[in-house]
Amino acid sequence: MERRTFRAMGTEIDLLVDASGATAALSAAEDEFHRLEAILSRFRQDSELSLLNRAGRLDPGPDLMRVTELALAAREDTGGRFDPTVHDAVVAAGYDRTFESIAAHGPEPEARACGGEVRIDRGVIELDDGVRLDFGGIGKGYAADRAAEVLAIAGPCLVNAGGDIAVRDGAWPIAVQTATGSLTVELTSGALATSGRDRRRWQRGGRELHHLIDPATGTSAGGDLVRATVVASDAVVAEVWAKALFLAGEEAGAAEADLLRLPSVFVSTGGTTRLAGGLR
Amino acid sequence: MTSHTGRLYALAVTLVVFFLTWTVVATRPWGASARPDPRLAALAIREQQLRRESIVVRRLVQHRWAVYRVQLKQRHAQISAAHRAQLAAASAPSVRVVSLPPLTVTRTS
Repeated sequence: MERRTFRAMGTEIDLLVDASGATAALSAAEDEFHRLEAILSRFRQDSELSLLNRAGRLDPGPDLMRVTELALAAREDTGGRFDPTVHDAVVAAGYDRTFESIAAHGPEPEARACGGEVRIDRGVIELDDGVRLDFGGIGKGYAADRAAEVLAIAGPCLVNAGGDIAVRDGAWPIAVQTATGSLTVELTSGALATSGRDRRRWQRGGRELHHLIDPATGTSAGGDLVRATVVASDAVVAEVWAKALFLAGEEAGAAEADLLRLPSVFVSTGGTTRLAGGLR
Repeated sequence: MTSHTGRLYALAVTLVVFFLTWTVVATRPWGASARPDPRLAALAIREQQLRRESIVVRRLVQHRWAVYRVQLKQRHAQISAAHRAQLAAASAPSVRVVSLPPLTVTRTS
């Protein structure tokens, strides 16, 4: 088993591969993260995403185009609970720089409307006036999937991008935090992601805010969950539904997970842990 | 002398009469008072009718095109959803709770 840990996309990346002599594959997977970060980061002024957000129109490369398509499909699938147009709401909430640089306290922010029009026409992405995109979560999931494909050439592997985990072959025991500790799930294919408000949080106007924006309100989401973990076919789908089910709340989220057959773990603000979607 | 003057007057009067006649003939007074050609009137009416019908047809086509585009979009969405559901079913993740020591941990990303 070989392992490599490094930082990218504002989080810690953990690569594991069940093979020997996998240095080249590990390096290629790491390079893939840095390459995608240079394209998808909203904190880099020269990224394709920043160019698109500034110009409102871009003929992008294949990765930005694919992530945009996935994000728009996710917006439709989740009824708008996942929405890439939360950029201005996240920035208004105070997350206007890398998380490590955010001031712990500040004045009360204003909610910002989300849900503007994003059009893809003949290889060009067009944003309505005032619409900007944030691919923070889905970008990590996309990168985890791409890196896992690269790493899988060397052997069974696991890619953990700050909680967005993609595996290829093998059997991988993964700890999921619960209300009282953790439980371990064994994942042999697919991916797993966790969304919650227990990290990436700060104070504004005496109120605790976090990075999970509810597109319906344009500010940090409320609800009765601390976090939701979802297992799905790939890390993008897991990331999208972890956020969507988190916003749905414990009861509605568990019912939806059962309906969609998405194995899930919900941790509530009341200190309970609930398994759903066939996970047992 | 008188005869010469008389001939001049006669020539002048003849010229005036000639030019007056020319002017009258050139203005074609019978043309204005004549009835319009019924075929031209019918053509004008037909043209107006066709113009009105073309507007109605254009509106109808635009409406049907808009309905078609909405239906096409809905159909595309249905096909995409079915395709995604098929893909998800085909690549359904395999997961179960175990009591093994974990190799890694998922946390809020």
